[in-house]
Amino acid sequence: MRREAAILITLAVSAFFGVFFILPAVSVIGAAFKGPDGMTLDYVIEVFRNPVYVEGLWNALLLGLTSTLVTLLIAFPLALVSHRYDFLGRKVLGVLILIPLVLPPFVGAIGLAHVLGVAGSLNAVLIDLGLIDEPVDWLARGRFWGIVLMNALHLYPILYMNITASLANLDPAMEQAAENLGCTPLRRLWRITLPLAMPGIFAGSSIVFIWSFTELGVPLVFNYFRVAPVQIFDGIKDLGDDPSPYALVAVVLLISALIFIASKLAFGRNTSGAQPRPKGRDDLVKLRGLRSIGCAMLFLGVFLVASVPHSGVVLLSLSHDWYQTIVPQSLSLEHYIEALGDPVVVPSIENSLLYAGLATVLAVIAGLGIAYVVVRSDIRGRGLLDVLVMLPLAVPGLVLAFGYLALSQKGGIFHFLIGPNGSPALLLILAYAVRRLPYVVRAAVAGLQQANPALEEAARSLGAGSLSTLRKVSIPLIGANLAAGGILAFAFAMLEVSDSLILAQQQEHFPITKAIYTLLGTLGNGHELAAALGVWAMVFLGIAIGGATIIGGKRGGLFRM
Amino acid sequence: MDGIRADSVIKKFGEVRALDGVDVEVNGGELFFLLGSSGCGKTTLLRCIAGLEQPTSGRILFGGEDVTGLPPHKREAAMVFQSYALWPHLSVERNVGFGLEERKVAREEIRRRVGEALDLVHLGGLGERGVDQLSGGQQQRVALARALVVRPRCLLLDEPLSNLDAKLRIEMRREIRRIVKEGGLTAVYVTHDQEEALSMADRMAVMESGRVAQMGTPETVYRQPVNGFVAGFIGETNLVPGKVAEVRGDYVKVGTAAGPLIGRITEWGWRPTEGEEVVLSVRPEVWRIESPAAGSRVTGRIIERTYLGQRIQYQVETRIGRQDVVEMNPHVVRDPGESEITLVAPHDEVVVLKP
Repeated sequence: MRREAAILITLAVSAFFGVFFILPAVSVIGAAFKGPDGMTLDYVIEVFRNPVYVEGLWNALLLGLTSTLVTLLIAFPLALVSHRYDFLGRKVLGVLILIPLVLPPFVGAIGLAHVLGVAGSLNAVLIDLGLIDEPVDWLARGRFWGIVLMNALHLYPILYMNITASLANLDPAMEQAAENLGCTPLRRLWRITLPLAMPGIFAGSSIVFIWSFTELGVPLVFNYFRVAPVQIFDGIKDLGDDPSPYALVAVVLLISALIFIASKLAFGRNTSGAQPRPKGRDDLVKLRGLRSIGCAMLFLGVFLVASVPHSGVVLLSLSHDWYQTIVPQSLSLEHYIEALGDPVVVPSIENSLLYAGLATVLAVIAGLGIAYVVVRSDIRGRGLLDVLVMLPLAVPGLVLAFGYLALSQKGGIFHFLIGPNGSPALLLILAYAVRRLPYVVRAAVAGLQQANPALEEAARSLGAGSLSTLRKVSIPLIGANLAAGGILAFAFAMLEVSDSLILAQQQEHFPITKAIYTLLGTLGNGHELAAALGVWAMVFLGIAIGGATIIGGKRGGLFRM
Repeated sequence: MDGIRADSVIKKFGEVRALDGVDVEVNGGELFFLLGSSGCGKTTLLRCIAGLEQPTSGRILFGGEDVTGLPPHKREAAMVFQSYALWPHLSVERNVGFGLEERKVAREEIRRRVGEALDLVHLGGLGERGVDQLSGGQQQRVALARALVVRPRCLLLDEPLSNLDAKLRIEMRREIRRIVKEGGLTAVYVTHDQEEALSMADRMAVMESGRVAQMGTPETVYRQPVNGFVAGFIGETNLVPGKVAEVRGDYVKVGTAAGPLIGRITEWGWRPTEGEEVVLSVRPEVWRIESPAAGSRVTGRIIERTYLGQRIQYQVETRIGRQDVVEMNPHVVRDPGESEITLVAPHDEVVVLKP
């Protein structure tokens, strides 16, 4: 590609990124450290002196850690099994197992809360089996574990994809060599496979940790308020005078950044940029009979358990009456009808489709440009650009949302982005786009790296200009990757929680997630209505994901840092 | 047909000089070879000619026109890539027709010319196929047709046969040469296979670490290599070090460990002086065993024999080191052993080189 074009794209993207990502993040930190007379650590120290905040941070850390561990426990055996064995329905199950990632956890939590509630399915099952006599209030005792469960069931695909991708990148000859030298399978796992898969495990774990450490939606649904993200969310109400929410956000950001840097330092080599190695023959062991079915059941079981919360949501949305039974006793569509009549619902669906759609377009265009510079140009600093665009994975959405909010107040430099009637459309589109950029970039980079540059050079040498080459050769070649990245970006934008909850203030501008949150707070059948809207959201997602699966993009590498 | 000229081309990748001041002149209508081992800069030079790399300094000229600053798509220099670079999302026909579509040629004419081009490479009737349904040899032909169909000012070929099996390779050598010659094309062909270069080239340039070591016809380069590297790279050779004892015209008597050997100077304008260190290059087929012919004589013992059908290779231990010796169409198969034999090298066929 032309040097000038590469430089132009780099400058444009850097500017976009600087203004809409770095600036909000930095402004939050700035506000946390800026006292009436210069820099001060007072506010941050104040955070650590305030027992409520300390408890919130501690709980968030615990949530992050336990969620990551549980996620690892689910994902690692799955990845190993699919790396090593060929079993019944391996390909289909390998895709099925990824689906929970795009089921909105915020919505799933509503279902899970019902399953685990006093009058919920779990108690009904246990009483039926005669294991307990009285219903137990699982959520009163185990809210924390409910959140951990929800996080783990939502996030394990990230880790699964990372681990399988790094295992797939291994030259099978490495494992075969160990075997050839007399290593037993178990020792081979310990001495060869595991160390080589470590970069993937760490990369995935740090994303999972940061995600669950800063998760806002699930604790909100579980009414678990003593956790830092919820405290930040509550702090927004008295934004302006009190610097302590800023300080709390800054602390959360610093912890996330530390984890990110630590995982980078621990396994700094960037395996995603490595050239494909010459591969020996894969040594998939073909399983037969019971073993094969066992592996299939493992995958299917994990998928079924992971979809319990969302099945709960569907049941809840359809239930006429669900009390102390495993499933509702009678079903009806009344909640759907009532939900559609609610003034919040229909506009919120329109809003979300609009916001998420435009954000996806923006992210795909920017992502393609960045990937092109990173893979195909030789300008200095392209490696830095590659690292820069991955940062949104390390910076919690909560922090960014908070920064956007602060900067869009009257007098702030983002204030002009607020539309008529206080519409946050532009803000939300930009926030969605920036935070989903990494997925698109990774997908496009992976596609371009797989495509032989000679394919583009051939077009150039046959008389095609840069744009013509891009249109006729590059985009068709990486179209599947681009579509996969774009659809993932769209899905995540549709079920985004922190930006949506924080930035949308008026009812007519609410996206789906905020509408669900509002419905949850309605007395009476609020939960059922929220569930009905949640099902709508899942239907839209299902269509999008179905499209992605049909187009058949490459799954690996999407979540690699 | 336009010629191609590279004028003191330097290409640096960071600190590495891939091309270190290369001057090459390719005549119009010539099949010109760039030959060298991997990393010598031959592919970089080809990519500079195609416009896919920008020289750090120096100029590329097509028929007198300076094209150094032109982007690749304006150069009309069609390239055949080592990996073929066929687009998997397009059919054979669309692959071949791509360059014509870019040139806004009318649809009917595209169909006609693509058909002709496919016929030329013996792939008529396969236009509808996907490129992944073709064998390696067929893919190679599609790549060739795709480059030829645009009637380029020059055809650039980057190791086009290296992914084919030995038999197909020899067939395609003839085929490519025929097509280039019939079309009257100026073609630059990169390879590391000296046999390919010797058998196909009109002229060639042997490259060594970013420079042209020697340029000339295959025969000149083979028979009159300018230095030990070229002698060793183009064909096999035995290099014998020695000191100049006497210079007479083009002939030099060189004192070696096995006594005086006489050779000929082939590098233009160079005359060694008495006492100077030089190297003698003796091709394996130049040594004759127990021959009555006139020439320098060395005695030795056969230590190894390789029977290759139409020829036999011997390794002979002598006082000037182990010599590779090849006998063509041998009637006698000699056994390795104790008995001493005499090797004879005619003066004309021994080349004196700078050390």
